[in-house]
Amino acid sequence: MTFRLVFFRRGAMPVVSDELYVTGGWGDRCEDDRVFSSDIACDEDNDVIDMYAVPQSPPPPSPRPPSTGSQKSPRSRRQRTTSLSQSTKKTCTESILRSHTRTIYTAGRPPWYDSTGQQVEPFVIGICGGSASGKTTVAEKIIESLDVPWVTLLSMDSFYKVLNEKQHDLAAINEYNFDHPDAFDFELLAETLQRLKEGKKVEVPIYNFVTHSRESRTKTMYGANVIIFEGILTFYNAEVLRMLDMKLFVDTDADVRLARRLRRDISQRGRDLEGVLKQYCNMVKPAFLHYIAPSMVHADIIVPRGGDNTVAIELIVHHVHTQLQKRGFKLREKLAHSYIGQPLPDSLHLLPSTPQICGLHTLIRNKETPRDEFIFYSKRLIRLVIEYALSLLPFKEVIVETPQGVLYEGKRCASEKICGVSILRAGETMEQAVCDVCKDIRIGKILIQTNFDTGEPELYYLRLPKDIKDYKVVLMDATVATGAAAMMAIRVLLDHEVLEENIMVVSLLMAESGVHSIAYAFPNVQIVTSALDKEINEKFYVLPGIGNFGDRYFGTEPSEEC
Amino acid sequence: MGSADDLSMLMKPESPRQQEIKEEYGLNVKLLPSNDQVKELQTILRDRNTTRSDFKFYADRLIRLVIEESLNQLPFTKTTVTTPTNELYQGLKYQRGNCGVSIVRSGEAMEQGLRDCCRSIRIGKILVESDADTHEARVVYARFPEDIAQRKVLLMYPIMSTGNTVIKAVAVLKEHNVLEENIILSNLFCTPVACRSITAAFPQMKILTSELHFVAPNHFGQKYFGTD
Repeated sequence: MTFRLVFFRRGAMPVVSDELYVTGGWGDRCEDDRVFSSDIACDEDNDVIDMYAVPQSPPPPSPRPPSTGSQKSPRSRRQRTTSLSQSTKKTCTESILRSHTRTIYTAGRPPWYDSTGQQVEPFVIGICGGSASGKTTVAEKIIESLDVPWVTLLSMDSFYKVLNEKQHDLAAINEYNFDHPDAFDFELLAETLQRLKEGKKVEVPIYNFVTHSRESRTKTMYGANVIIFEGILTFYNAEVLRMLDMKLFVDTDADVRLARRLRRDISQRGRDLEGVLKQYCNMVKPAFLHYIAPSMVHADIIVPRGGDNTVAIELIVHHVHTQLQKRGFKLREKLAHSYIGQPLPDSLHLLPSTPQICGLHTLIRNKETPRDEFIFYSKRLIRLVIEYALSLLPFKEVIVETPQGVLYEGKRCASEKICGVSILRAGETMEQAVCDVCKDIRIGKILIQTNFDTGEPELYYLRLPKDIKDYKVVLMDATVATGAAAMMAIRVLLDHEVLEENIMVVSLLMAESGVHSIAYAFPNVQIVTSALDKEINEKFYVLPGIGNFGDRYFGTEPSEEC
Repeated sequence: MGSADDLSMLMKPESPRQQEIKEEYGLNVKLLPSNDQVKELQTILRDRNTTRSDFKFYADRLIRLVIEESLNQLPFTKTTVTTPTNELYQGLKYQRGNCGVSIVRSGEAMEQGLRDCCRSIRIGKILVESDADTHEARVVYARFPEDIAQRKVLLMYPIMSTGNTVIKAVAVLKEHNVLEENIILSNLFCTPVACRSITAAFPQMKILTSELHFVAPNHFGQKYFGTD
């Protein structure tokens, strides 16, 4: 029996500020009309379905599945790789409404990059500890207490190696050693964690404990403000160790761990006492002594008794808060007030101004214009903007034969793969035009809304064509004011490995500051608009502007009185 | 930038190609500002291997661009409007009293493009046929809005190889007291020969085309309407 105090290897804990976090909730006042709903379970048309906002399932109910050696219940394990967001019961009920097939979200993902568009590096917590030591409980407790909207929980169980036939047979008689480092694919693990740390999208394998192979499906995960990685050999691989910002070791007495394991495997997994003990003595215990216990030296914090140790968890949460505060996530206001008087960037392409374009602007900017005219003339203008945007793509020279029997020197677009991505809601109004101009074009959607409390954009939903990284992307939003939403959308595309130079932001109207912000953060992104206005008001509307384009187009303006 | 603060901004500097055309054909011949995208559309329409469905699709796109540019030739006046943010916007507005006239059959391909830009515009039609024996063009049908003499007329005809059809059609319009300077001819492909004979016949008429090329894609009407 050892007693150990919680202690810290790294510097002292600074003070925490309560105002630090951008919380995801909309608050009660606007919940009704802001609720966004989506079917999360289906994958019917092979698109990538991405749910930044929310867990696909509630955090796995404890008790956790067996850590090693089980041949059952791959289902409960699957859930352990979900991206979690505010897993506390309280916030779950506030921001997520569930029925049996649908999940409704009321909170989005706040910015995960700074005002230069660069990824703010997430804080990675590694949790190590023996089998049944309570690592998952500690992770859940941390997530609950952190109250940060975006937490990704990655489990080492997802990275078991695929077994060959012989190993598979051994596993069937409890003789394959799932606790040995050789059982894990550290290469894939390190790569996955690195990508998560860079904020990239990753495909986490789903390990099937019946077939001992990876399922063809994978779980899509994203980087987050906080990433928690837990497993029995978290500290084993030097490369993985290097990526951890904070290392926790959950130190639970061996007899407690054995007792938990016996109870779990026998009562829940239907295995016999002898088999469990044999596995424990021959593999689990030696692995702990040889690989897991010695890795304790790497820990910054050792948590005795696991999840029950509330003092330790409070201290950990405190530290993480402080670290996140240093990284900072406030965006929009900063964007609106920089770059005054700077020359316009080269990446900006303003439509050649013609009397028609000016006349169309006159019609749609006029507040007296009735909706049907507003829609009609907007569409005309959108069409012109899209045509112009496409003319900026690379073209190649070709020679074609004509029916008149002469050769004709012409041009064809050099890129086959072009797709449109609209930023909901106003960007959706531009989809029709892009479809009218490009036959069979694929269209992705990204929903970004401004949080009324913080003024920050938040990401709610996205659905992008498969292999979007190979495409030239026409990113559409009707107006760009501060550029915050466009920047978030660009960041999302970059996280999906679209090349920066393959992105083109297309709008009817932009404010100069928005253009500067986008161009500064993403100098290789092409910016296309039909008009550029000088100013933005305190509500971040462009002046003189066009009003709320989406509201006017869709007829959802608030009534005159309010 | 998008506003009519200074109308000189709207009169953008002309491309070298446009200047050449001015020198050669006079002030009233305008070329659709070309870019790679326009060139691609022209290439697809010229290519003998283009399928009919593609042909119609890309023809409609080019037509839309030509119509939009034709509308730029219409007169406008300055105006100021109030935006929903209660700011003033210096814009411009177009006068009423325009109409379209298409020359049957291939000119009708351009009607939809005009409709897509001006929802309720009046559209007249002229049918010009060449005599099977003499190859001389003659007008067999014409129907216009009653007050066409007071209107600006957007005359639509996509392909001009000799210009004879258009010359007949314009003559009919003039018989209906339409002023020559009130006619804007919208065209996709024009040969230098046609351009010269038309400008010689009607020096006051404005002509807008997307391309001047010595070979006209004469298959246009057949391929667009699928009667080849």
